[in-house]
Amino acid sequence: MNGFRLQAERPPEPQPVKDGVVMRLEHIYEVDPAAMTVFEQQDLPVWDTLRIVASRWDHLAWMHDHFADRVISAEELEEDGAT
Amino acid sequence: MPDREQLQAEFVEEWRDNGYGCFSSGHKFCREVCPVMQVTRNENHTPTAFHANIVALEQGGLSIEDLAEDYIHCTMCGACELRCPNTLFTGDFYRHRTRTVDVVKAVRALLVQAGIEQPNWKRWVEATVDRKSEPVLDVPIEQERVAEWAAGLDLPVGGETILFCDCEAAFYRTSVPRATAMVLTAAGVEFGLMREQWCCGGPAAEMGYVDQARSFAEHNVADWRTVGARRIITLDPHDYITFTEDYPAYFGDDYDFEIVHITELVAELIADGRLALTVPVERTATYHDPCRLNKRKGIYESPRAILRAIPGLTFRDVDRVTQWSYCSGAGGGFAIERPDIAAEISRRRMARAAELDVDILISGCVWSERPLTARGEERDPAIEVRDLMELVAEAAGIDLGGVKG
Amino acid sequence: MTATALDDPVLEELRQILGGDHVLTSRTSRFNRTRVPAPFPVHRWSEYLPDVAVLPTSAEQIAEVVKLANRLRIPIVARAGGTGLADGAVPLRGGIVVDVKLMNRILDIDLVDRTVTVQPGINMLKLNEELKKHGVFYPDDPASYPCSLVGGRIGTSGWSLIGGRYGHTRDLVISMQLVLPTGDIIEVGDGGGRKIRKSSTGFQLKHLFMGHQGTLGICTEATLELVPRAEAEFAAFFGYPDFETAYRSTGALTKSGLATLAGVVLFDEQKVDYLRRDDEAYIPQPPELRSVIATAMYGTLDEVKPAARRLMRIARETGGDYLGDEVSQGDWASRHDRYATPLHGRLRDGTVVPMCWHCEDAAIVYSALPDVRREWHAIAERYIEGYGIFDDWGMFFYTNGPYKPWGDYLVEIDIGIWEQRLDDETWAAWVECKREIAEVSLRYGGSITACHGATRAGDVELVPLEMGGGFEVMKQIKRALDPNNIMNPGKYLLDQAYEDG
Repeated sequence: MNGFRLQAERPPEPQPVKDGVVMRLEHIYEVDPAAMTVFEQQDLPVWDTLRIVASRWDHLAWMHDHFADRVISAEELEEDGAT
Repeated sequence: MPDREQLQAEFVEEWRDNGYGCFSSGHKFCREVCPVMQVTRNENHTPTAFHANIVALEQGGLSIEDLAEDYIHCTMCGACELRCPNTLFTGDFYRHRTRTVDVVKAVRALLVQAGIEQPNWKRWVEATVDRKSEPVLDVPIEQERVAEWAAGLDLPVGGETILFCDCEAAFYRTSVPRATAMVLTAAGVEFGLMREQWCCGGPAAEMGYVDQARSFAEHNVADWRTVGARRIITLDPHDYITFTEDYPAYFGDDYDFEIVHITELVAELIADGRLALTVPVERTATYHDPCRLNKRKGIYESPRAILRAIPGLTFRDVDRVTQWSYCSGAGGGFAIERPDIAAEISRRRMARAAELDVDILISGCVWSERPLTARGEERDPAIEVRDLMELVAEAAGIDLGGVKG
Repeated sequence: MTATALDDPVLEELRQILGGDHVLTSRTSRFNRTRVPAPFPVHRWSEYLPDVAVLPTSAEQIAEVVKLANRLRIPIVARAGGTGLADGAVPLRGGIVVDVKLMNRILDIDLVDRTVTVQPGINMLKLNEELKKHGVFYPDDPASYPCSLVGGRIGTSGWSLIGGRYGHTRDLVISMQLVLPTGDIIEVGDGGGRKIRKSSTGFQLKHLFMGHQGTLGICTEATLELVPRAEAEFAAFFGYPDFETAYRSTGALTKSGLATLAGVVLFDEQKVDYLRRDDEAYIPQPPELRSVIATAMYGTLDEVKPAARRLMRIARETGGDYLGDEVSQGDWASRHDRYATPLHGRLRDGTVVPMCWHCEDAAIVYSALPDVRREWHAIAERYIEGYGIFDDWGMFFYTNGPYKPWGDYLVEIDIGIWEQRLDDETWAAWVECKREIAEVSLRYGGSITACHGATRAGDVELVPLEMGGGFEVMKQIKRALDPNNIMNPGKYLLDQAYEDG
């Protein structure tokens, strides 16, 4: 298994996505660094970005469960038959 | 003695973005997950206040002396900075997240620099400098005894893989490193110990003693290089944090060690069939997510994979997000200066476990185990506290042959 | 070090009442109990400091503090979470902040008569974590749900994102105990009896003590409604090519008569543009998607499923494009966190700057929504051009009525403010902008605040206009209940109540 190695935690270079938005890690949008001239970005290693994204999904699942026993999806409604 | 006004100006210059990032936000979702706030309900202790004070310093409303009392009140568990929407919802997008832990550390360092010290922290760090290990209470701490927990295990000194043994584990709860070492050996993992292990320096950094922390780090890294280490195994989350966050900040690109936390390694050994857990542990247990594994690093799956592999164990889990608001109170030097509040935090954590009708609370952090053990013993019926590795050793049929402490 | 205006004998008397640990005079204690998340003149922070903060643990302690305040004419400002948006908890004249956060216990859970009685310092999310094991829920769900406290919800008469199904704070609080400005402790409900929901005995006092912004007393206990925990949640987001189509679709959805429909939120074009800046749900959306509607339903499985099918059909038939399960569910669960954070702020050239923001919350009828929208964006545009530190974060329109999603809407425009650049000139400009926005609401027969309160500069000057003859009644009530004007003095222009003597 691979533990933590500093060299592996450096984020890749940004690829443009659209105006003001870039992408370094797959499926994770980021602000175009060119827009961050007044408010500086932090040194955020890859593990930290991944932790934040995973935690966000965890939090959303928790919030659903906090309010109701089940979440109904539109997909499930269609599978049931008539819409 | 540096000029306080100058220190203050430099501090504000460095931290004002962090301050305004919170101050301008107004979301206060941090406070209900904060273990200290849950007990004191004192707005002075909120992450909101910790950041707002920076703005107040800038505006000239506060000065350094005003900060001394409030910033003691933090275990650096990381719940607030993770729950904060500026991290959780936009931290990855902007590459800018809330960093309450860093802010509190920086304020504590500022106070020390300004000559404002907390008496118990001062004594603690002085003793650590003197003995090279933390003055884990009631036990004689001497460098000569730092590896005594390994008596009879014939562990070599040095090698490519080093097992780093946390101070509380080395001197107090020695069953934890013994279990860890014997489990690794049983699984065929080769490793050695340091020539001269010093405290990782993390606690000194948390209490604001940056020079001392740095000197411990430099010694340890030099020792690792001397013994040819490429890979360091940590058995306590506090060390894992220190080696993956503090040490990179000190040494930059020169820092090329691989840091492996024990739960990740052991979960893999079990999955690969290199470690067989065959002895049933017929108990009913729940798991305490260590703050510094779950909240700070996002490591919550490997301990659970291990627990699910222990035969005979009835495991009543509490999900990792609910545990964002849990804490043992043992981190960040907090229990050293505010033992009464820390005791209430651990009492509440134990009460949560008791709600599940369990007879063991299993933890992944040796520092949490002393306060939680005490709280568990106060209950009727008592709830036992075990370390995850102690349980793994038991399920692997390993007799530790040592003393619990 | 402390420099409080209260002298030592007063502080000593407070310590006798509360215990020394619960009387806080340090500068950080006072600085951190001054502001709330609404835009704040940070350059004038020290002008709003209280003299002391106290952390009571009982109604009796609060009563003693209030009596002391009456005797010595010291202002009292109640503070629950300090998470409100109308400066209700901001001291205008120093004095004693009564911080109720230590009073956060659950006193009674009654599963037979379906109530939970709590102290005002408890947060709804933490309350519901405890109630979950009993299969019940307290459905008061504002954007501040993870941090606001029951006492503040009462002080502001809060609004809930799911109020269209379950009602709002004033519908969910059955009765309360409170300390009057004289120090007397009374209980109020619909009539008498702490668990009675509907009564005609005497005056409807409970409503008087809802939304008073701490000017008529301090709540020390509240008995709340318990609803069955929802079996099912259904959230659906729809995209539209323009605001007008979405607006008409909103009308169709809210008149659908579906009882499980808890909330409908319309996002205008500027809001969608704003979300495209950094929201992973909106960044990949095609440019043709200009307006959005969010819907949410709660109830039993066999109610929600057929209702959800009908809802989907209505949305589709009125031009809505379903945005998918992932966006719908993810964004609904994000509703407290996602829509306003400082780094959403942009200067005209696209530079990211951290902004605090103002969240307008007028109550406007459906027929007036497009006109109000047009006028508000025009106002925002003038101030953005004029001062360079403001930003238009777009508008939301939420169902406002309790138990019904039609009729009036909570209309929100969010104005970003580059807080670090605030000075007297820009602050004055901001207050003027705020007033212009509020004036529009009154012109269209609306209310300048659906739920935050109107105690701030830019709003409060318009209160007599909105209340009409009711403002005179407000003054008389204030004078009658608070003869010495010690309870949050200066709020709501209520000093006028004392002008004749």
